[in-house]
Amino acid sequence: MKTGKALYLELAGIAAAVFAALLCGFIVILLTSKEPLSAISALVMDPLANSFNIGTILNKAVPLMLTGLAISVVFQAGVFSMGAEGQLYVGGFLGSLAAVYVPGLPVWVHLPLILACAVLGGALFGAIPGALKAYWNADEIVTTLMLNFIAILTTSYLVNNVFKDPESGGYARMPYIDPGLLLGKIVPGFSAHAGLLVALGAVAVVYMLLYHTSIGYELRLVGKNPQFAKYGGIATPRVIVLSIVISGALAGLAGIVEILGIHSTYKDNFSAGLGFDGIIIALLARNHPIGVLAASLFYAYLQVGAQTMQVGSDMPREVAVIIQVLLVLFVSSQAIFAYIKQKFVSGQKAVG
Amino acid sequence: MVVWQTIWSQIMDLTLIVVLLRFMTPILLTALGGLISDIGGVINIGLEGLMLLSAFTSIAVASGTDSWLLGVLAGVAASVLICYGMGFFAIRLKVDIIIAGFAVNIFGSGFTIFLMSKIYGLTGNYNPTGAPKIPLVDIPFVQDVPVLGKLLSGHSLMEWIAFLSVVFCIVLIYRTPYGVHLRAVGEAPQAARSLGIPVERVQYSALAWSGVFAGLAGAFLSNGLTNMFVKDMTAGTGFLALAVVLLGNRNPAGILIGSLIFGLASALTTIVQTIPGSPVPSQFIQMIPYVVTIAALVFFALRKKRRLEIAA
Repeated sequence: MKTGKALYLELAGIAAAVFAALLCGFIVILLTSKEPLSAISALVMDPLANSFNIGTILNKAVPLMLTGLAISVVFQAGVFSMGAEGQLYVGGFLGSLAAVYVPGLPVWVHLPLILACAVLGGALFGAIPGALKAYWNADEIVTTLMLNFIAILTTSYLVNNVFKDPESGGYARMPYIDPGLLLGKIVPGFSAHAGLLVALGAVAVVYMLLYHTSIGYELRLVGKNPQFAKYGGIATPRVIVLSIVISGALAGLAGIVEILGIHSTYKDNFSAGLGFDGIIIALLARNHPIGVLAASLFYAYLQVGAQTMQVGSDMPREVAVIIQVLLVLFVSSQAIFAYIKQKFVSGQKAVG
Repeated sequence: MVVWQTIWSQIMDLTLIVVLLRFMTPILLTALGGLISDIGGVINIGLEGLMLLSAFTSIAVASGTDSWLLGVLAGVAASVLICYGMGFFAIRLKVDIIIAGFAVNIFGSGFTIFLMSKIYGLTGNYNPTGAPKIPLVDIPFVQDVPVLGKLLSGHSLMEWIAFLSVVFCIVLIYRTPYGVHLRAVGEAPQAARSLGIPVERVQYSALAWSGVFAGLAGAFLSNGLTNMFVKDMTAGTGFLALAVVLLGNRNPAGILIGSLIFGLASALTTIVQTIPGSPVPSQFIQMIPYVVTIAALVFFALRKKRRLEIAA
């Protein structure tokens, strides 16, 4: 839809927003740190200083890409789902069950089964708020938030009482997954795990889905103008449900990839907000899959930077939160972007 | 069955009601704040973050100045200040109000940890010794009456403020010119503007009110219910409050009932958690409010649909 100059302006605007948010973060560091320069350098340079940190950035970007895609799909359909967190738990949980408790399958059957269980779990859990919104008009923001709690509490109960590894002590988890099923390193000696390939594949699939299939077209149309879509003969309720189902599937995939790549089994409360980070990613990415790729890498870089800063200076890593918040606000400001467009695009047109 | 006996005995000696009142207070206050912003058409989902900011500010100031009142006021002021900032982004810079609220939540969680680390060098919780708490109200004579005493006397001042706030909100929303403006702006901002109502100013004030109430609730968490600040101590109360607004069908009396249900579930959860070997998992009791909220949402939506069908 956006071509040429408009696209470049949009990108330039986002770059400016990123720059402004970083600048505000630096100002906070300058004002509160006793060693501001080493803090800033630890924040900006250290994440790229060695291959281990770069691997960590890639590993952190993997779940962000998947949840970012999950949220982008619903946002493009005009559905304000905040449910990726809950869907991620359900997907991760079912996938782990398949991994731990289904014995004796060859890997090439078992691994697809695990992924399928996770995807299906997330998708079905997403179908609940989807149906509630599409057919009963129940506000999806609240239902998804409520369902997040329900998912986290239910899985927490199950992992603490039913599926708990007796050896895991106070910190509940399932028995460890067979190492042969885990996502290994892509290149030996480099810490990035194979989940990256899954995430990149998902970016490509979602891109194709949104921009090169009729489902994607309907989905975007419903998001842009539900009335028009309805009169155009699109079954809006079906599209709404479908968008959250796809979103849930991606969130479920995020959960199981994080488990197979990082945690080696299902752990109680393993996500700590990955689903909500997905919302930030989608906002930064303007709900575009390619944008999600870039935004996840940048966001992961910022997260690793926050950690290296905490280690290498007197600043706590929460400084990054200030940057993240301003980033979200600047990038989402329609007034700023309308101003940029008016200033640079309609300059040639005679605006009265 | 140990559980039922314990719950029953706690009902009989009124402990359950005392605990219930204590737990419903922050939910009730925050939900009233959410209600005003909701009615003004500027839905504030940042209540969670506001509560955290207020909780930290109020205990820090209370322990620094040795005055609970200054603590509470500072907490409310911090919360209101952030609301104006949120308003600036949402109203002036046209950030979607949901996104602005979302940002406030991240900010509240992160910034309180940042401050705790920078000011006190602590990472998990801030537990000042001897910080003054919001006082309890002992009613003379009544406190000596057997049942009535326990029901009415000895509650935190903030619990009374919460109940009075329900009345205050009813008056504010339905009985004042401001309330008329508020509802007009929420229902039809364009029409309100054409009638000369200062729409932006009303929206800012609606957000500020939500900040006041979320601020009171946050101060109660750190300065009344407990005597410390723990990172992310709100643990979803702000989201519960959002749900209560809808559960209460967007009116103060309904919100009072909604808060009672949520408070009861929280109270039962704590009781069950303290009983070893309970047959009812605490997670499922904790879940009740969320399930009830979803059911209520569907119920209200269906009722609205039916009304529309009858009208058509």
